Amino acid sequence: MNNSKPSKTSGVFGWFDQRLPISATWRSQVSRYPAPKNFNLWYFFGSLAMLVLVMQLATGLFLAIHYQPNPHLAYWSVLRGIQRDSRWGWLIRDMHVVGASAFFLLVYLHMYRAVMYGSYKKPRELLWLVGIFIYLALAAEAFLGYLLPWGQMSYWGSAVVTNFVTALPVIGKPIATWMRGSFVVDLPTLNRFFVFHVFLMPMLLLALVLVHLIALHQVGSNNPDGIEIHENVNESGWPRDGIPFHPYYTVKDLFGVSVFFVVFFWFVFYKPAGWGLLLDKLNYTPANILHTPADIHPLWFFLPFYAMLRGVPDKLYGIMAFGGSFVLLAFLPLLDRNPIRSIRYRSKLYKFNVLMMAASFLWLGWIAHGFATEHNMVYGLHVTEVFYATFLVLPFFNRQRSVRAKVLWLVLAEAAVWLIDVWMYSIHAHGWDLMLLTDWIPTLYLLVVFGSALAFPALTRDAAKLPERLTAGGIFH
Amino acid sequence: MTQKNSPRRHRPVLALAAVLLAACGAAWGSVASTVPPLRPITVNLQDKAALRNGALYTVHMCVACHSLQGVRYSSLPKVLGLSRAQFLATIGTNGHHYHDTITSNMPAAMMEAYVKIAPPDLTVIAQRRSAAWLYTYLTSFYVDPSRPTGVNNTVRYNVAMPDVFASMQGLQKPVVVQGLRFGSPAKVAIGVEPLTQGSMTKAQFDQTARDIVAFLYAVAHPHQQERARLGPWILGLFLALSVLTYLLYKLYWRRVITSEERWWRVGR
Repeated sequence: MNNSKPSKTSGVFGWFDQRLPISATWRSQVSRYPAPKNFNLWYFFGSLAMLVLVMQLATGLFLAIHYQPNPHLAYWSVLRGIQRDSRWGWLIRDMHVVGASAFFLLVYLHMYRAVMYGSYKKPRELLWLVGIFIYLALAAEAFLGYLLPWGQMSYWGSAVVTNFVTALPVIGKPIATWMRGSFVVDLPTLNRFFVFHVFLMPMLLLALVLVHLIALHQVGSNNPDGIEIHENVNESGWPRDGIPFHPYYTVKDLFGVSVFFVVFFWFVFYKPAGWGLLLDKLNYTPANILHTPADIHPLWFFLPFYAMLRGVPDKLYGIMAFGGSFVLLAFLPLLDRNPIRSIRYRSKLYKFNVLMMAASFLWLGWIAHGFATEHNMVYGLHVTEVFYATFLVLPFFNRQRSVRAKVLWLVLAEAAVWLIDVWMYSIHAHGWDLMLLTDWIPTLYLLVVFGSALAFPALTRDAAKLPERLTAGGIFH
Repeated sequence: MTQKNSPRRHRPVLALAAVLLAACGAAWGSVASTVPPLRPITVNLQDKAALRNGALYTVHMCVACHSLQGVRYSSLPKVLGLSRAQFLATIGTNGHHYHDTITSNMPAAMMEAYVKIAPPDLTVIAQRRSAAWLYTYLTSFYVDPSRPTGVNNTVRYNVAMPDVFASMQGLQKPVVVQGLRFGSPAKVAIGVEPLTQGSMTKAQFDQTARDIVAFLYAVAHPHQQERARLGPWILGLFLALSVLTYLLYKLYWRRVITSEERWWRVGR
């Protein structure tokens, strides 16, 4: 199978094809690119995220044409200029707003898919790492864009985040002033956020997504069974469990896109503010530099990280607490070195742990959605510990552990929980009363994992044998 | 692979449903304060007479102090079901250009001197608050001698706005209960009772307030009818596409089972 030669050498297309590898690229990357046969519905989200990226670029283009990056004009240029004075402006803006949330939802699901099926393991570590950078670029893009409507929550959210850097001693404040171009969030900040949001970050995102795709096509897709299809090929070198990406997965993705658009446009037409979750109610009020809202919080997709930040009420350590979660994600390929990729063939306790990863993340979001009470902050601290622990216990599952090792893991992990409590008390972050009240959260989690590993060793046993070929597939399998 | 040592089938649908359901649960929050009940209201955007009455009061009474910077006078005839000439003859533009935004003639600085705060823009308020909140707010001013304006409001405690409806509605006294304010025990006004008679009956005034709310709601949600008209078509289009693309997917994937993999379940 030679993919490098042009298919047609005459005619207009032939002229181009001889000078640009159009049909060769199409063949090698699409129509004769082998993809595993058994992709299920979790494999919709990557292509849908790309679709939303394109949609955000297209709608963003029109918004940028009508938007005024000036504190005196910004608010009304969105609320009146775009939403009322421009034809279809309301639809384009609502698509952009709902699109931002959809992007995060899809990316979170896409990441969770990778975690479930071990798509970060050799040889896909770099693919995973590029994905983490895409997430960070997306987070920056969302943060920058949130200032632009110049509402109360835009303004004060940006004020809080640009103040993060002041946690650094001595150089913090000058850096914050330099970043904002002003002592407070103001015209220079709005101007640069606008330029970064419409030019710098989208370019970076596109470049990273391209690298992500190239890296994907270099190593090939993983699949729900986590079995390498390229290790079982027929005489002509085609994987026995592979099918051409086109037309099989293009038609499957078309179905995914149609279903996605039903949900997406339901929000756009009927719930564009998503019950105050996609667009904060307070953002309908123009930014007021003299009036700090009682409760400043980010949109839903940053809430879990906000709970981590609030859980440690010390600026520098709090930022380290939530920044550390990205480091953990990046180090996932090093933490989980079990040779079995897919959750399907991993032990019951490992499945529980992966479920807890999502559960603790959602719980953190729920905590941050509430007010910043002392109670909520301590809950945030201890659920953050669970979220961290779901990553840090992964080496435990790398192989079968002896009884002594299990006891040691349990004792050391529980000691770490107590040490963190002592540390929190020593920096006057939390009192013992509330900390003792919520210590059951990490303790229960650790007891379930290590305690049941001790009591029921079968729960830590991975599948004895992996199937040689992919098992049945289809959207719902 | 035999049935015995095969792991339990991992069910992605259930896993996804669980994750999404938990995310919905995470969207729940709570506040600790005694909230006065809101008066129910149904806004009928087709009742043009009500909208016109509301517009008349808004443009000639509210706009004395408040602005509606999100709205241009020229956008009103369509909302109110009037021609441009009819609109100019009945409601008018307070001396502004027809295509101007609705801006109060009262300078904001002067209002700040009068009531310590610039009156908020009504497009902003009407977008942020529900129709029921606006209706309750407009009808729930009560006498409170501790306030500089002599009045307070059940849904907006310590409101800066004076009771501009006193002559129409008459004065009202609060219905007070023991409750919570920002978490601490306090006497909370949860309703109002008439104290003096104004120029309107209660029914007349409530109707006027409802008309004002209907108008504010209409201009704060200018694309409501377009959304309702377009939405079903767009959703229907993608639902139909979902069915068609699913059939197409099944059709293509039928080929995948032609080889030895009889167990292949797609397209069966």
